[in-house]
Formats: sequence, C-alpha cells, structure tokens
Amino acid sequence: MANMISRERLRRRLPALWYGTWLLRTVFVFVFIAAGAAVVAAPPPAPTGLTAKDHGWDKGTAVDLVWEYPGEAALDGGFFLISYAMDLEDDFRIAGQTLGYETVYTVNGLTPGVDYYFKVVAVNSALEESEAVVSEPVAGRLQWVDGSRIWFLITVMIFCGSVVYFIRHARKGRPLKVRKIAGLEAVDEAVGRATEMGRSVIFVPGIQDMNDIQTIAGINVLSRVAQIAAENSASLEVPTTRSLVMTTARETVQSAFLRAGRPEAYDENKINYITDEQFGYVAYLQGQMVREKPAACFYMGAFFAEALILAETGNSVGAIQVAGTAMPAQLPFFVASCDYTLIGEEFFAASAYLTGSPEELGSLKGQDVGKVLVAIGIVLGVVFATLASITGPEGLNLESYHFFQGFVDYLQGTVLH
Amino acid sequence: MDLDKINVILATDCGSTTTKAILIEKVDGQFRQTYRGEAPTTVEEPFADVTIGVVNAVTEIGELAGRRLVDEQGRIIRPASDGEGCDIYISTSSAGGGLQMMVAGVIKQMTAESAKRAALGAGAIVMDVIAANDPRKPHQQIQRIRELRPDMILVSGGVDGGTTTHVVQIAELIAPAKPRPRFGNEYKMPVIYAGNRDARPLIEKTFDESVDLKIVDNLRPVLEQENLGPARDMIHDVFLEHVMAHAPGYDKLITWTDAPIMPTPGAVGNILQAIADRDGINAVGVDIGGATTDVFSVFNGTFNRTVSANLGMSYSISNVCAEATMERVLKWVHLPMEDRELRNRVKNKMIRPTTIPQSLEALVFEQAVAREALRLAYKQHKEFATTLKGVQQQRTVGDTFSQRMSGLTIVDNMAMDLLVASGGVLSHAPRMAQTVAMLMDAFEPEGVTYLAKDSIFMMPHLGVLAQVHPDAAMEVFERDCLIYLGTCVAAKGVSKPGKPCFKYRLHGSGLDEAGEIRFGELKLIPFGPGQEAELELEPARGFDLGAGSGKRVQSKARGGTVGIVLDGRGRPLVLPEDPAQCRTLMGDWVKVLGLYADSDQ
Repeated sequence: MANMISRERLRRRLPALWYGTWLLRTVFVFVFIAAGAAVVAAPPPAPTGLTAKDHGWDKGTAVDLVWEYPGEAALDGGFFLISYAMDLEDDFRIAGQTLGYETVYTVNGLTPGVDYYFKVVAVNSALEESEAVVSEPVAGRLQWVDGSRIWFLITVMIFCGSVVYFIRHARKGRPLKVRKIAGLEAVDEAVGRATEMGRSVIFVPGIQDMNDIQTIAGINVLSRVAQIAAENSASLEVPTTRSLVMTTARETVQSAFLRAGRPEAYDENKINYITDEQFGYVAYLQGQMVREKPAACFYMGAFFAEALILAETGNSVGAIQVAGTAMPAQLPFFVASCDYTLIGEEFFAASAYLTGSPEELGSLKGQDVGKVLVAIGIVLGVVFATLASITGPEGLNLESYHFFQGFVDYLQGTVLH
Repeated sequence: MDLDKINVILATDCGSTTTKAILIEKVDGQFRQTYRGEAPTTVEEPFADVTIGVVNAVTEIGELAGRRLVDEQGRIIRPASDGEGCDIYISTSSAGGGLQMMVAGVIKQMTAESAKRAALGAGAIVMDVIAANDPRKPHQQIQRIRELRPDMILVSGGVDGGTTTHVVQIAELIAPAKPRPRFGNEYKMPVIYAGNRDARPLIEKTFDESVDLKIVDNLRPVLEQENLGPARDMIHDVFLEHVMAHAPGYDKLITWTDAPIMPTPGAVGNILQAIADRDGINAVGVDIGGATTDVFSVFNGTFNRTVSANLGMSYSISNVCAEATMERVLKWVHLPMEDRELRNRVKNKMIRPTTIPQSLEALVFEQAVAREALRLAYKQHKEFATTLKGVQQQRTVGDTFSQRMSGLTIVDNMAMDLLVASGGVLSHAPRMAQTVAMLMDAFEPEGVTYLAKDSIFMMPHLGVLAQVHPDAAMEVFERDCLIYLGTCVAAKGVSKPGKPCFKYRLHGSGLDEAGEIRFGELKLIPFGPGQEAELELEPARGFDLGAGSGKRVQSKARGGTVGIVLDGRGRPLVLPEDPAQCRTLMGDWVKVLGLYADSDQ
C-alpha cells in the first residue's frame, strides 16, 4: 500500500522534474559546444629549427633530421609527421612519424647524391596539423664503411683472426689441446674387437645424400675407420642409400687402404648401394646384422626413424657401436643403445680430431673462440633483459630500467643487426 | 707334507750377482726369520754351477745359526733334526737376467696386451711384442724375432671362435724365423700357444719340429674376460723344464727344492697378491734396481706387474736423467748443485754401478734421481694396469655427457692401502724418513696409506714359501719382512698456500693430538712401530681424503719407524717453476721430516 501511494505522488510531480532536467541539459550542451569551438580554433604550434644532415657511415640512403618543438605539452597524445620531396613544388612523400616527445628522425630509402627537402608537421590528438617547417636541401653521401655493420666486422675479425692465429700456432708445432672424444678414441677399439672376433665392421653413413653436411662428416670418420681396418686386416662393409654416397665412400676407403700400405686388400664390392627407400635399407641392414653378427657398427651421418632400429639390432648381436649425428631427436636413442655417441659438434670436429692437421685444428680452435663470443652475448642479453624486466617500466627503478633496456636494444638493434 | 711338523725353512734367491739365503725357524710357536747369509752367485764361469753359490750362502747361515745345514757331500740336510738340517728348502732365481720372453697377439691393445700381462705376472721380462696391427713390415718382424734370443715365446690371439687367419699369420712369422733359445743350442725353442681354440690344428701344422709347442687354454676366451692362470702356469713349467734345466747347475738345484723354482719377480708378485687377498686391501710394491724398476700392484684383487727396463739407479741412471730431464730431477734437491758436476756423477754411477754415495750432496742427488725413476716407473705401471679393452659397454641416457672409455687405469692412489718399497736406494737409505719422503714424492699416495719397506729383500723367498706353507709366509712377512715406516695422510686437491687443507684428530696408544694442516704444510708426528691410533679427518672444501670432497673420514693410523706424516702439499703434487723457490720449499720439507743431519740441513 505504501509503495502505491509513493508512485502516485511521483506521477503528480513528474512534469516539474522533466522541465528541470531539460534546462540543465541545454546549458551543458551549450557549454560543451563552446569549449569544442575553442579547441578547433587552436591548432598545434609548428616545429622550429629543423636541420637535416647526411647520416654518417652508410651507403648514402639516409638523412638525420633534428628539430625543436616549443609546445610539447600541447602535443601530448599527438605526433610529428615527416615527409620529403626532391622539389618544393612536388608533392611531399610521407617518410614516417615520431611520437610527440621525439624530435629526431632518420629518413631511410633515399637515392644517394640527390638533394631532398624535408618537412615536419606537428599533429595533435585531434588530428589537427600545425604549419609545416621545411629544411634546406640535403643529399645523402655514399660512405666507404657501413657503420651499422661495425659489430659484424669486429666479430668477423675476431673469428677469422683467431682461426689464423691458431693455425699459425699449430703449424709452429705447439700443442693445441683438444679434449678427448670417447667416441673417436673408441674407433681403434671397435675395429680391434672385430679383428679379434674374426667378424666384420659395418659402417652406415646415414640416409641422406652428399649434400648433407652430416654425411660429409660421416665420410671423414669413415676414412679413419677404413685405415684402421686396413692396418688390422679387418673386413669393412659400407652399405649406402645413395649412389653418390657409395661412390664417395669407395674413393675414401680406397685411399685409406692405400695410406695404410695395403691397397691390395681393398674390395669395392663391400661398399654397396642398397636402395633409396628408408625402410628397405633398414630391412637389408637388419638382416645383414642378424646373419653376420658384425663385431663393430658405426652409424655416422643423418638418421631419422631408423636410428633406434639399427642401434638396437647392433646391440643385440653384441657389437661395439659408435654413433655420430647432429639430429637431436635421434641422439637419446643412440646414447641408450650404442657404446659411444658423438653429439652434434663432436661429430663435426671429428675430422680435425682424427687427422690432427694444423689447418683443421686451428679452425676448430677458432670456431671455439666464436662460440665463446656467442655464449657471452647470450649470457649478457639474458641477464640484462631479466634485469630490465625486474626494474621497469613499472618496476623499481626507471633509471636502471632505461640502462638495462638500452643495453638490450643496443645488443639487438646494433650488435646483432 | 704335514705342515705342523715343519719347524725350519731354508730359502735362497739366486740373483745375478748374489745368492741370498734366509733361515726361518719356529720360535715360541711362531715362524720368524732368524738368520741371513749371502755369497756370490756362481752361475757363470769358472764355476758354472749355481749350487756352489747356494751352498756357500747356506753354509754362512749355518755358521751364524750354529746349525749344520750342508752335509759332507755338499747337499742340504733334510729333514731337520736336533741342531742340523731344515724341513723345507725353496728357491727363486733371477740369475742370468731372469726369464726373458717374447709375446705375440692379434691386436696389440687386446690379446697381445693380455699375453704381456701373463708373461710379466709370471715374472718375465718382455723383450718384444708382435701383433697383427704392428706397424713394422713382416720382414722387419721376422728379423727382430731372429735377433732376439728369448727363453720362450707366448703366442695368443683371437677369442675362442674368433679369428684364425690372424693367429696363423703370426705363427707364420715366428715359424720361419726359427728363433734360437738363449741357453743350450741343442734344445728346442719353447712356444706356448694360448689363443683361439679353433686355430689349434692350424697352429700345430704351422710349427715344425724345430720348436717345442705347448698348447694351453686361451688367455682371452672372450674379450670381456682374461684367463691368465693356465698360461702363467705353463710359463713356470717351461721355465723349470727348459730354461732352468739348461742353465748351469740348475738341474741339480731343481732336485734339491721342495717347491718349483720361481722367477724372482714372480715370487714377489705372489706374496703381494697373497697379502692383499688375505687382508682385503689394495697394495702396491716397488723394487728399484740398478737396471730396471719393477712395480707390482693389486687393486680389487687384480694383480699387475710392470718392468721398466730403462729406469734404474746405476746402469739406467743416465736414461732416468734424460727421460725426466735434469731440471726436473733438481727440483727435489734442497742444496745448490752444479750441473756439470752432476752430469759427471751420473756417468760415474753408470760405469761404476756398485758405488754408493760418499757425500751428502751425492746422497741427496741420488735420492732425487730415485724419486724420478720411481715416478716414471709408476706412470708406466698406471698406463699398463688398465681395464680390458674391446669390451662392449652398456649405457643409459644418463651417460650422454659422461661416456667413460674402457682401458682406463685401475690404479687408484686413493684406494691404495699399503705401499711397500724394496731395492737398494729405498731399503738402504741412511734414514727411514728418506725412504718415506721418496715414496711420498714419487707415488703421491692419497688418503690414508701405510708405508713399509722390505727389510732384507725377503719377499721373493716368501713368495715361494706362500705356495708351500702360506701361514708361515704370512707370519714372517708381517713380523720380519716388512718394516713399517708409518702412515701417510694426504688430501687430494689444490689450493693456495696457507689456506686450510684438513683438520685431524689422533687418539690411542698414548697419543691424543688434534690440529689443522694448511695447504703446502707437512707435519711429522712420531708414532712408534706396533702402535695404532684412531684417526679422524675433516678435509676442507675442495679436498678429498677418501670419502669425497669435504667429507669426514675415520680411519686408523699405524705407527712405524718414522711415524705419521700429515701431508698438506696437495695432490697432484705441484712444485714451483722457479728453482730458487723450489729449493727453499724442499729445504722446508727436509727440515720437517728430519731427512738429513741437522748440521747438513
């Protein structure tokens, strides 16, 4: 009942309320329109002191612009629009824009040696443009050295310098320490086992062709295996999946037998092409392993699904197995089922390790220096990026954030550019 | 033979120059070595009869003991009765250069190495190793076989069911070379075949009547296992049948002995192995001679012996200085010495091998050379005493970055419990502490290690006795053979001088001492023979005393003629590069251990 009375009273007073609010709304609309008219009436002030200068240490395609802006506060939320033209009469082509507080810009993509005019316009948040300021004509000059690549130059100099240094170092007969690689040390042992047991040695150079770097690395190891097999008078068999690999393997083995002083023992019929088909090849190898029970198996090259099948079969016939591959997915299988495994880089270092030639050892050491530099870069980048994320931009210390983030940006934008 | 009735044992060792005899008697129910005598060996002309030297040495003992041991016919009286004779007579021999062998196998690092191990373990000197993967050409190998005149040849190769081709190839190198034995032109060269079972008929066919072929079980039936026993036994048999029987007077000596005559180093290995087996310890023995240095080791029951043919203190002293370099030798010297004078000293020692040092400088220098000879011999031993090569490994994914290789040394200084020294420069050092210093510097024992020396080079006699009367051999070994020098406590690890190395506490047998050893420091705690103390050790971080880095260790320290040496010099032991600094440091160590007379230090 109480609610019904109050509703009745409300209905009686409603016309008066409606007129009251109408008046208020009208006043607000007028005030708003007047204010809006005032904003439209004040475009942002024009930038001043625009200077254009050829960007140094480049190929002449960039010009640096610097200007001043008196009305920074008014440009809050706005931006500067930069454009350029070859003639003042031409239409200016937009080069880019900067945020309201940035008063420097580098225009890229210009033709070297051609004069350009540059124009900067301030644009506020209401997209109102200021008057333009135009620079004197400036041309980009082609430089001898590209400054943006200076870090690349330094890196290449250090890398190549260390390779040359270590090669010279090795040539003088000074020892270069290369840590022992168990898998390569075990080559003698594996072939020796086959000799004592009167069984054969099987070498599998992967299932890829000669254009794969892993196959090439595998062939390098084959050279060593063949030489020891020749010295021990052991039987070496090399079944391949590619005809070109077979040819390369034959030549490698032949020269190894020659080196060992036993050219007459070389038998090219033991280095065969089987099939290009992955599992046809695997089936052949499995059959051979089970029938002949080789005492040593080498898997050196690029492997896929057949890795575990081959290694498990070799393990079950009691062979010493040495594998080497850079296929990360196959490495765990090889490690678990083979006696020794060359992992990635070890596999590629095999050639230098086995031959011990100064050139190869020097290159190996030089590459190590390169790897150390990369590792230092990664560690620094991770540390500084982490510190930047801890300190800001909404974190503890904005000044520190700028320092750390600046380093990361420099690393990404300049060093790694 | 009833062992309970044995009371008097006579043993001789016929060396190249001296025949040494010892008398072991039961005193108060325990066997003790009582008398010792020696006489020149008479295997060469004009006597050409080894028994004359034996009788002379035994007669000397008899006179000392007041016991008639040799009858009117010049024979040893047996059995023992009141005041005369002995119950057992045994002998070893290294006269005429000992047992010299050539071995052959298919792969140098596999069956050929096992054959070498068998020969060395039997007490032989291995003159050469022939293998299928030998870099020498066949005609060079044949030439070498013809040049050498070994006492016998051991041929191995191939696992059972393995290669026959390679084994026959080796036999085909030896057969046409027609090697001639060292002694007795009329007898056939003994060839022991201990290889692939399947190749036996082929081997028999390859060798003609000019050799005496003996066939025994394969010494490497599978690559995973060695079976050296049958080959070693056959080497001993052939040594007696052929080598000894053709050496002057040995035919007679063989009939006198109650146990087969053994090559001297084989007997030393026997006793070391027996003591290690009985006490369940790892032991290393060394015998440094004038021309060669023998190192014996038993680690986890595996016996190994090496002969470093060019490392010795007289005939081979020049080689030691050349191999180690004079600079390195002089690092162990605390006195200023002139290089030219030292070179003269070395050459003099080489041409007059029986001379002994006459001045302090000469003694210090000789002991410095001994350190290097021992260090190099031990290094060679470590390289030889390895796990078997050619063995299939079983891996897990956990082994990705730690793929251990086979063929690694089994010699572990941290696991070494006992280090026994023998040989002139060690046994006859004027002060026992000098022997301790030489052993510690050359072998670098780690953790807790007992140091001892063979008092009168009795180990060969006891090695043969161990085959006849093991209890008597052990009793004499413990009581009279070994002179305990003390205990060495050394931490593995390196730090800066003056930094903490380990803390120690010793208590028992009237000793209660605790303290801290700093890196670079050496401390000697006198602790007499027969005494034992509890030892509590707490290594600093980065140092290991046997239980792992920084982990506490409880052990027992054994007293000796020198005492307990707490060694904080670190392992590996690194000497300063600067000679002056090195000399000062050596001077400090000499003072701490009291190596030389105070006035000389």
